[in-house]
Amino acid sequence: MALTGYHRPATVDEAVALLAADAEAKPIAGGATLVAMLNARVVEPPALVSLAGIAELQGLSAAADGGVRIGAFTRHRDTAASPLLTGTLAVLRSAAGQIANATVRNMGTIGGSIAFADPGLDYPPALVAASAEVEIAGSDGRRRVPAAEFFIDWYTTALQPGEIVCAVHLPPADAQGAGLYVKHARVAGDYATASVAICRRASGAITVAVGGCGPAPLASAEADALLSAGGSEAIARAGALLQALADPLDDVRGSADYRRALIPRLLQRAVQACAGGGAA
Amino acid sequence: MKLELQINGEAAAVEAGLHDTLLTVLRDQLQLNAAKRGCNQGVCGVCTVNVDGWPARACLSLAHGCEGAQVRTLEGLNDTPRMQALQRAFTEAGAFQCGFCTPGMLVAAEALLAREPAPDAAAVKQALSGNLCRCTGYLKIVEAVLAAAAVLRQEAAA
Repeated sequence: MALTGYHRPATVDEAVALLAADAEAKPIAGGATLVAMLNARVVEPPALVSLAGIAELQGLSAAADGGVRIGAFTRHRDTAASPLLTGTLAVLRSAAGQIANATVRNMGTIGGSIAFADPGLDYPPALVAASAEVEIAGSDGRRRVPAAEFFIDWYTTALQPGEIVCAVHLPPADAQGAGLYVKHARVAGDYATASVAICRRASGAITVAVGGCGPAPLASAEADALLSAGGSEAIARAGALLQALADPLDDVRGSADYRRALIPRLLQRAVQACAGGGAA
Repeated sequence: MKLELQINGEAAAVEAGLHDTLLTVLRDQLQLNAAKRGCNQGVCGVCTVNVDGWPARACLSLAHGCEGAQVRTLEGLNDTPRMQALQRAFTEAGAFQCGFCTPGMLVAAEALLAREPAPDAAAVKQALSGNLCRCTGYLKIVEAVLAAAAVLRQEAAA
């Protein structure tokens, strides 16, 4: 199908109205993934709805509740450098700075990334570990979905047809805590073979999420409780719990067994780096 | 479909289909052939151009999405002292064999030195990590960027 429409809405309402009017139209943000798919003719939408001109979707801002709002069109480069993402929220900065390479980070956006929901992406585990919420707009209005419920299956999110991501909302940072994203990839710039995102509060409370080891990030309240309590067996036991939740692919980046074996190792690295107060 | 882009500081009137990328317009209409078509998937970096001051993939940028953006290709950066220092350093270090990746490397390196006049080797590797080279093993490219940065700092101090 030939591409015959390229729309430039100025507001979210206009964008969702355009998407509602044409079920085959696709929203486009930074283009880092969608244009590659267009070039390869993997997708051939009749029309594109560019989200580039919508002011509401741009940039990071401090929220009234002390948290941080990241607009869906915010480039990875800006998230990776944001002074708002301190303490526990540094997990987002850490993940953003490890996406692909510097040139792609100038193009890709957080909304486009999470709407695509490749299991090897860096943002999903970071958002789950940070207890983020995803704000979604559709022709029926707005709703918010916890990150842990946003990522549903392989390349499948809570987004319904015609809906777009507007923003990611992060809870207030624990400024004395730490946040970190530990990524294992074959080469610099690749998708994660497996990864661990961690937030450690000053109280010692830890939340983790594992990327690359199933259709959606792995998280376990029981594993978090074990890691928060600490002790010599904590990492091994929490790692075993997360391994049991894993459903990894066998692919060119690693076998399913290899990915499972990475989980406790990456977990150990994440916990140790965070205990050192480190934003690495 | 008619489209006006800002290329190398000048308005360029082009004809571009909605699916045409910036790379297609640069190469096939404007005969600006420094940016190469390699993977056309955003992986290899040979199409790297500067958009609003930052390196970007021309192959992943729809031409119609570039309306209003300031695009600079290697051709448009050629006459700047920074690019000339880089080109001299690449030549002196022997930072290429086949040369196919060189335009993309130069555009990415120029953007780095514009922001960071004194990068270390790790920063250079980071900045060039989206540019693949199948010949050199990268060492001489990194050396060349560091050498160009040193020359530019000396010139600035003089």
